[in-house]
Amino acid sequence: MRAFASKAAALSAMAAALLLTGCASHPIAKQDLSAFNAAKPRSILVVPAVNKSLDVDAPNYLLTTLTVPLAERGYYVFPVHTAKTVLEQEGFYDGDQVQKQPPEALARLFGADAVLFVTINRWDAQYAVLATTVTVDFDYRLVSKDGTELWKANKKMAYSPQNQNTGSPLGNLIAAAVSAALERAKPNYMPLAQSANLQVLTMEPTAIPTGPYARVN
Amino acid sequence: MRMICLAVCALALSGCATGNKGLYDWGGYDAMLYGAYKDPTTVAANMQKLEAHIHALELGKQKVPPGLYADLGTLELQAGDKEKAQANFRKERELWPESASLMDALINNGAMPKAKEAKS
Repeated sequence: MRAFASKAAALSAMAAALLLTGCASHPIAKQDLSAFNAAKPRSILVVPAVNKSLDVDAPNYLLTTLTVPLAERGYYVFPVHTAKTVLEQEGFYDGDQVQKQPPEALARLFGADAVLFVTINRWDAQYAVLATTVTVDFDYRLVSKDGTELWKANKKMAYSPQNQNTGSPLGNLIAAAVSAALERAKPNYMPLAQSANLQVLTMEPTAIPTGPYARVN
Repeated sequence: MRMICLAVCALALSGCATGNKGLYDWGGYDAMLYGAYKDPTTVAANMQKLEAHIHALELGKQKVPPGLYADLGTLELQAGDKEKAQANFRKERELWPESASLMDALINNGAMPKAKEAKS
């Protein structure tokens, strides 16, 4: 009975620890958000990303994934396609050119409170015989209209399609080969990019404060 | 004992998935843009989907999410329909005051703005 009780106590302590650690997968200290809280941005301009990956389409695709999580966090997000078109009109066709501009000038051009700069470090698929690993890695930096850095973070995520268990070794091998072939033909980066953005913006230790349109609980 | 552990573990696992209902109904706006970028021949079809979604939101008296009117307007402008584009830029401006300066530039120019300041 004593043994049982102490075992139970140990287990519940472990469980409590599990509960407390829950979402915090990185032992990184929560960042200083005092500049963010002082600036209280209402609106965020997302500009085309700097691309360090080999996939030339990555910046356009990434651009389509940032509006939803930022707006759901309570901010006005400038229409990304419109912003991209305006920047092209100005002669800025890629993220490198755009991000060389002073953030203050970009913010002024659009009337934005803050500008989000993203660098794509990785957007690739590594092929092995039976599985493919898709990886994305982004640096994020939010700068206020007066040039103050409000927030920065990095997020890397990798995904390997789950091999189905068909119940037979040969069946498993075939299923894995099929899934690898499919990923090879057309790796789908979008769910991965979407979860990277969602996690970095809404989960500790990197979450940004909620904006003016967030639902008050 | 096992029951407790299961319950606690389930709680721990669900911890991250905050069952927050979204602020807006996006209707696949991100997927439409993605589709248009991925295959430019689908721009017109995606533009129509966006227009239909906005129309449905208006009918249901739901708030149109930030940027949808304006991006629809830009797609219409690119397709040569200046009047429809301007009407959507006006709607974006009215619904989202934060967009005012950009929308004014788009409405007044009838094309994309040429801002001198950014060149400095």
